[in-house]
Amino acid sequence: MRSLLIAALLAFASLAGLDHDRDPDSRGVFQVIAKAPAKWRVLKNPYDSSPDAIAAGEKLFRQHCAECHGDDALGRGRAANLHLAGVQNATSGELAWFLRSGNLAHGMPSWAGIPAQRRWQIIAYIKSFGVKPDPSASNVPASLNGRH
Amino acid sequence: MLGSVFRPLQLLRGLASAALDLRFCVVLLAPLGLVLAALAFASAAVAQETPYFVAYSHHLEEPANLEIETYSIYGTQKGAGDFVAPWMELEYGLTAWWTTEFYIDSQHTFGGPDSTVFTGTRFENRFRPLMHEHWINPVLYVEFENTTDADKTLKEVVGADNQFDAAQPNSTANRHHTHELETKLILSSDYKGWNISENFIGEKNLGHQPWEFGYAVGVSRPLRLEGTPRACNFCRENMILGAEMYGGLGTAKAFSLSGTSHYIAPIAAWQLPNGFTFSLSPGLGLGDESHRFLLRWGVSYEIDGFGRKLRSLFP
Repeated sequence: MRSLLIAALLAFASLAGLDHDRDPDSRGVFQVIAKAPAKWRVLKNPYDSSPDAIAAGEKLFRQHCAECHGDDALGRGRAANLHLAGVQNATSGELAWFLRSGNLAHGMPSWAGIPAQRRWQIIAYIKSFGVKPDPSASNVPASLNGRH
Repeated sequence: MLGSVFRPLQLLRGLASAALDLRFCVVLLAPLGLVLAALAFASAAVAQETPYFVAYSHHLEEPANLEIETYSIYGTQKGAGDFVAPWMELEYGLTAWWTTEFYIDSQHTFGGPDSTVFTGTRFENRFRPLMHEHWINPVLYVEFENTTDADKTLKEVVGADNQFDAAQPNSTANRHHTHELETKLILSSDYKGWNISENFIGEKNLGHQPWEFGYAVGVSRPLRLEGTPRACNFCRENMILGAEMYGGLGTAKAFSLSGTSHYIAPIAAWQLPNGFTFSLSPGLGLGDESHRFLLRWGVSYEIDGFGRKLRSLFP
């Protein structure tokens, strides 16, 4: 019984102690995306602009991504705004690498458990947003704005 | 062949009588209560975890997500009645590289006195030491177990564990408590939709027993790799098939296959878009030391952003 209590206390202390939304700055994410290996950077999305793939990608986005990035993909807390140039100007290959690899140290899980085909569909959906003006221009480093 | 070892009527009769026991109800129904409570303020997520019951892959719980799971195992055994051992799991993604899990185990042996018992608790942590995806992805696993000898969940098989260990009556087995430290090195890869996972297990009874070793390997794949444009329940993208094999490898003093038990089990899982996942796995024992037949089943429910929503209640 004592160990049960200790375990429960540990679990809840951990729950309370960690703050998943601590860092509202997306720059780290954009910098990691920019580090994609060259062989990934040039990959083309096999589903590029396909209406079915975009619809499937939207469904998958709501299942896996919307909780952190928001239904509108405008970002929340440390989860990046996916309409920003740092994401929209990245190549599909760079985004494919980032989705597969994640950025575990900064809260972005690896999505390698989802088949590659579904990750490409999510990317087709994200790319369908196009670039929107950044309301807080400081979110994107100048070096990453419009670099493609 | 299965007709001689799997007795569905006995299983149903046993479950019906066990369901009247308060302890059994707690383990089986508590997850349902938690899910209903969670539904009041949280939304569901579709997990990307693999469907294994024993093997682990490198896919951890997403940060701040909570998965409530109830699993059971039915097993045949020589020298005693067959058994059903349900357990409840609460799995939480503390960070993208750290998942923690808490278990409550119970067990019902058919036909014996004192036949339904709580058998203990376990507290597990899994860590990804590398912050990006690689060809082979290691995960470090540490678990503290406070269980009794009556625990029959068979979440891992180590040392010379065999079916005769489980023949002791619950009334005596449940009096003997063991504190164990279980460690695993999990290696896992994804390739063209397949997941391939290998686990190397080392378990130490903290009461001056030697290290015991075991293994588990698993392979799985969704039936369809692409997503469909519309949300659907009965479509191939929601179905995952796989298989796992696991067994003991002896102890530090006698590292050997002699006297060890081994199992092979196909797995089917059905992931619904509303956050529920149903899993089923019939397993066959390989050799005389193994239970001849094991049937595992489970239901899990994943709550998106549970931690964030919990914290928002206490601004």
